[in-house]
Amino acid sequence: MRNGNVNWNGNRNRLMAVVALVLSLMVALAAVPAMAAGYAPDATAETIVKDAASQGKVGNWGLGNEYEVQALLSKYGQPATYLSQAFDMDGFDDDSILLASAMTYNELGLVKNSYQGGYGYGDAVKYIDMNDEGVAMLEDNIFTTAAFAAANPNTVKAFVAASVKGWAYACQNPAEAAEIVYQYGSSVSSEHQAYMAEEVKKLVETDTQGNPVTAYGKIDDAAMQQTLDLAKTYIKLTDSVAAEKLASLTLDDIRDSSYFDAATAEGAVPGAPEKTDVTIQLKWLPQAQFMGYYVALSKGYYSDAGLNVTIVPGGGDISETTAVYTGQVDFGVTWVSNLIAANAGGMGLTEVAQIFQRSGLVLVYKVSE
Amino acid sequence: MNKQSNAWDQISTFLYPVAFGALFVVLWQTGLLHRLLGADTFTLPLPGRIFTIIEENTPAIMGNVRATLTVALGGLALGSLIGYLLGVLAALFSKWGKGGLTLASAFNAIPIIAIAPILNNLTKDFSTDANIRSMFAKILVVTVTSMVAMSVNAYRGLTELKPFSLDLMRSCAASGRQIFFKLRVPNSVPFIFTALRVSVPGCIISALVSEYFAEYIVGVGRQIRENIVLAQYATAWAYIVVACAMGIALYAALLISERILLKGRG
Amino acid sequence: MNAIRWKKFFASPKWVTVVWVLGLILVWEIGATVVAGVKRTPENVLPHLYQIIGSVFSSQKANSTQTAIQIVLSNAWITLMRAGIGFALGAMAGFMLALLMSLFSAVEKMIFPYLMMIQMIPILGMAPIVLAITRDIDKSRIVIAAILTFYPVATNTLSGFKAVEREKRELMFSLAASRYDVYRKLLIPSSLPYLFTGLKIAAPMAITASILVDTLQGGGGLGCMMSQSLKHAMTIYVFWQIVFLSAIIGILSYQLMAWLEKLVSPYRRSGGDFPATDAKEPTP
Repeated sequence: MRNGNVNWNGNRNRLMAVVALVLSLMVALAAVPAMAAGYAPDATAETIVKDAASQGKVGNWGLGNEYEVQALLSKYGQPATYLSQAFDMDGFDDDSILLASAMTYNELGLVKNSYQGGYGYGDAVKYIDMNDEGVAMLEDNIFTTAAFAAANPNTVKAFVAASVKGWAYACQNPAEAAEIVYQYGSSVSSEHQAYMAEEVKKLVETDTQGNPVTAYGKIDDAAMQQTLDLAKTYIKLTDSVAAEKLASLTLDDIRDSSYFDAATAEGAVPGAPEKTDVTIQLKWLPQAQFMGYYVALSKGYYSDAGLNVTIVPGGGDISETTAVYTGQVDFGVTWVSNLIAANAGGMGLTEVAQIFQRSGLVLVYKVSE
Repeated sequence: MNKQSNAWDQISTFLYPVAFGALFVVLWQTGLLHRLLGADTFTLPLPGRIFTIIEENTPAIMGNVRATLTVALGGLALGSLIGYLLGVLAALFSKWGKGGLTLASAFNAIPIIAIAPILNNLTKDFSTDANIRSMFAKILVVTVTSMVAMSVNAYRGLTELKPFSLDLMRSCAASGRQIFFKLRVPNSVPFIFTALRVSVPGCIISALVSEYFAEYIVGVGRQIRENIVLAQYATAWAYIVVACAMGIALYAALLISERILLKGRG
Repeated sequence: MNAIRWKKFFASPKWVTVVWVLGLILVWEIGATVVAGVKRTPENVLPHLYQIIGSVFSSQKANSTQTAIQIVLSNAWITLMRAGIGFALGAMAGFMLALLMSLFSAVEKMIFPYLMMIQMIPILGMAPIVLAITRDIDKSRIVIAAILTFYPVATNTLSGFKAVEREKRELMFSLAASRYDVYRKLLIPSSLPYLFTGLKIAAPMAITASILVDTLQGGGGLGCMMSQSLKHAMTIYVFWQIVFLSAIIGILSYQLMAWLEKLVSPYRRSGGDFPATDAKEPTP
């Protein structure tokens, strides 16, 4: 009986604790910080990075997208830690992230514009560009395994040539390219798709130094070397075998320009593709980020080259590197840093074309009035 | 059954799985398993390499194990407490309680990957420290998933009494409170363990999955995901082995405590 | 007359369920109202139920061809097919293994401790290996759904075989029944309730697992759409619709197994009112 009493009271206390917990949660939900955040319009990148980092409010999505941000933090003497940012900009909007990662062609558009899903900040936000800060790493490329490329050289050449042709058309006609992507089942709204196409065009046509690109998809060794050097510094691998391999990687381990050069040479006569049914896995969901491939498919550039191409959307946890390595798909679009990490692990992948010639990653912040 | 075969029975219960496990590891290490499955040593690294990684990174791994265990055990404790209380409430107000429990068990059909992002967003204002609010969100995910099994089993334990025991208590003029504490609560103890057998392995799995979506980057589950996405399979496997070990250790602890606590019960 | 009907309704369990559902709706709506007051994008956190229902009937296209509910339903079909095939394969394999373990105690001793371990390997860890073996993402998805179905079916069926009283078994043997006969006439029929317990646990699990493995890669399925929606590549209401739909499918799959059980077996069993929770584990 006595014991029973104690037990009952214990239960009651627990109940009270639960009620208290729920109540405090509701109070916390209601008490929203109403302070206006933002940096002066003329603040330097250094002061902004230092302030945001000291508050622990620099955001990135992680999962291999974080190295440029870490390089920037290190450049200004800050610890290379960041908050895991969700795939919306709500955290930026409610000031739990002061310096948020954004791709120029995607999140930046959502923050600035006011179409569906947009936050409508317009000119009330500014951003720090990785290219200007000298910490740019190359992003979207075309890659396959070294073994596949060696066994199917004509297929690789034909695929690269047709894809580059698709990209050239897409960059000349971004509005039409956006519409094509939308027709291929992308769920991104058509306004945002159009914005994205315009921004992607800039990444394809400008290099990290801001100079215009003459050959779409050409592998720029200087930028590749900068990417590799930054990758060696900021990719931290737990596995000592992989870490040693990473330190020893050279450009020749991660890219092979010969397919691109042969495919785009003056008067190149394409050989018959060894494998005609090929697949390419994108790095992310179907959207104008990948418009060149959808255009090449829609305009028949792939079939003209004797290829029957299937585009596999990405965005899941089976990354494009794994899909290509296991042979589930033949080609992939990935960031160069991800390819470097995969090769350090022992995948033996090789880049055959570099579509984005400059980094599309920026850190966006609010400007105070 | 004679004595000798009984002894052999006991030895073999222990020997067979150990022998099987050893054979498996040998097949794995020598690569025969890979040939059998058609796998390669990259997606399925050799045990030797996996254990080297665990050995070389023990402090970092332990940090992640601590984070995951906090989430798993915190959520399990909170979920089981709330679940038991719900079971008690359901048993006290049986007519309403049973309906509520049926509805609550519908929650079990919602995948964790749907619950985790919702709770993540709901707890955004819990603390300004991302580590704390993210930990809170993860614990809530485990709480939700372990609550249902406990409430349903507690309800059963409190209501499915042995035949005539209730009549016996009543004939002794026992009060409602006496019946509750002397009959219903003790009767529910084995059912608590039934619930725990489901929710102990469950709490580890939900803790791992909740970490995938969490705001703050820490934990065994998060490391598995980061390393798989970055194609660091050997490291990912090191964390998978650690996750399995955690699950098995918790389950073994449960079985032992069950054996001790339920000793001498029917 | 009417009053009696009402009285009957208030006394029935249906009325209880109605009140509970109303209560839940109330709690949700209070939460949604609070959220709507303080958040800029409340639909990402907790939208009003009427907004979700509205999105179901909305004719606004979520991509170039389909509305939100059309996307959800067409992808639900893909997920269900994979879950169904995986479930059938897993249940079959689980039953066979239980039979094997029951026939040869050495097999049971060897394998049983490891059954739980398979369960502890996170799906995300399993996926790349399965993918490397099958080289096809859809086959991998089915295999993983099968692996997750397999465990509850195997353990529950095995405990069913064990639960058949020893006397009954010995009686059969003393009647000089062959081993085959003992299994066919006694063990398998009497283990059916346990098999169905396993199936009832496994069916919703196969569906949640199927949704989870959808997220591994693109190419359709509820999980795939859910993750796209969460990444704001399509309207967030697709996510909310999937949350509710997945719960409904899970419950229905449980009900389907319960209905099958009634259809197949003449016996009656009490319990089993609570979907997916009445796990029975064998004591080894």
